[in-house]
Amino acid sequence: MTTASTLPHRLRRLTVVAAALAFAAVAGPATAHKDPVTDEQLREYQEAFMDEVRKGDLLFHGDGATAKAMGVDGMLSKTGWACAMCHPMASDTHPHSFPKFQAQMGEFATLRDMINWCIEKPNQGEKIDPDGAAMKALEAYITWSNTGSTLVPGKY
Amino acid sequence: MSNELERLRREIHAELHQPGVRPDDTLKITRRTFVHKSLVFGAATVGQTFAWWPLINTIDIAHAEEAPFKFAWVSDTHLYPKSLNTRFVEKVVRAVKDVQAMDPPADFLIFGGDLAQLGTVEELELGNELLKDIKIPKHFIPGEHDWYLDMGKKWNQLFGDATWTFDHKGIRFIGLDTVTRGPDYWTAKNMTPEERMGHMATLDGTVAGPWAGVGKQQTEWLQKTLSDWPKDKPVIIFSHNPFYEYYPPWNFWIRDWREVQAVLKPWTKVTNIHGHVHQVLYNEIGTLRSIGMLATAWPWPYPPEGLPKLTVPMIRVDPGDHFDGVGWGKWSVDAKGNPDVEYIMWGRKEVFAQRAEDHDKHVEEVIRPRIADQMYPWANP
Repeated sequence: MTTASTLPHRLRRLTVVAAALAFAAVAGPATAHKDPVTDEQLREYQEAFMDEVRKGDLLFHGDGATAKAMGVDGMLSKTGWACAMCHPMASDTHPHSFPKFQAQMGEFATLRDMINWCIEKPNQGEKIDPDGAAMKALEAYITWSNTGSTLVPGKY
Repeated sequence: MSNELERLRREIHAELHQPGVRPDDTLKITRRTFVHKSLVFGAATVGQTFAWWPLINTIDIAHAEEAPFKFAWVSDTHLYPKSLNTRFVEKVVRAVKDVQAMDPPADFLIFGGDLAQLGTVEELELGNELLKDIKIPKHFIPGEHDWYLDMGKKWNQLFGDATWTFDHKGIRFIGLDTVTRGPDYWTAKNMTPEERMGHMATLDGTVAGPWAGVGKQQTEWLQKTLSDWPKDKPVIIFSHNPFYEYYPPWNFWIRDWREVQAVLKPWTKVTNIHGHVHQVLYNEIGTLRSIGMLATAWPWPYPPEGLPKLTVPMIRVDPGDHFDGVGWGKWSVDAKGNPDVEYIMWGRKEVFAQRAEDHDKHVEEVIRPRIADQMYPWANP
């Protein structure tokens, strides 16, 4: 249920992200918005996003190396069960229906709340930091995969 | 819908959905199979709204009568080692107890594939041990999860040939292997057996590709096996994958549907019972009837691009209850040879959606294939 990624690959990705961050630091928030956006900037912003999507894809599919690298080693599941085993292509995650009253939880919930519920209940894992890097990556993958779905917040 | 999927669906429709061609009327759809108790509880409105209304036939044609009997279907148990996952084990134990408690007993059990999750000796032996408590004859077909670690070595040792046939009370039963002929995606990339298995075990993976198929040799065997069987007598074929292009990205199909359908076309009472989809599913393709079965392990969602018009969808399940949305199948065959399934979904009185909100596709979605399994080193061997 895993698809391995490699260290060189991750280093390459990290380099891209570091470059984007360095660029932002040099350009500075005060000036970055005052010039028309360049193709290079657009590529870097998109790459920064897609890097999170890829990491989220791997976490979602139970990749142990990525979980370890992102500080959630063994937390997403204790049973071998991965998110994608109920949600192939992130189907039936319905990120476009959040926030909503989530029947299983009996409370008003965000997508991140639901991700943690799934980790804790079906996967029998441990809740992860709702603002942590792994959660952001999972959110990035799930929402990216549902690109084109129409927002229907609150829908059962 | 992707252009390729659209093309495939148009092609199969043009080829096989000829006006007036359906399975023989004597192979009738019963209320229990396709509307179950739903009709009593008001699902007629749901059916009309979504055009799910199945064709219900009431015409019976005289046929040499045999003794009615039952058989059981269990599949998609996806066992991990007991030390890692006990829930999947609990569900197999429950199915085994249910089957063994059938009264009158089933004549035999069909195990429809994916006994193991990652194809290890430990997983396959665990499954074999658990199923030993079922004392009636057992027949096995393989799933992809059983096969691609050691390419079927352990499975063959435990369960014998993957393709078989027998006649029972006026029906020709056939077990077909739809999983072992996947194109080689591993040699050129120097994958380990575990890596090969990992890609195969990921339903939405993009590396293993369209692996499901019957193959030329087995199709010829099928033709030969049916050649002495009267065209109007019932045939039941068990397979892991369905014989039509339901959703190729998840291998909810066989890639050589054209060849297999061509062989089956002259027989008018063919029922294909399949696993892999982990869901209630019904379709008719030409004269072939196709029925999907529940898993014991977990339910798959219906694909985003829809389900066959004749399928009454199963009820949306509660992911907090690991016995919900899963179970096994109790098959009854009447004196005329008509098979009829009762889905045993644990913890549910109603298996079928009772209203639109009970259907998982009530929330419409557009989804796309994953990308991370195509990353280095797989993309550049």
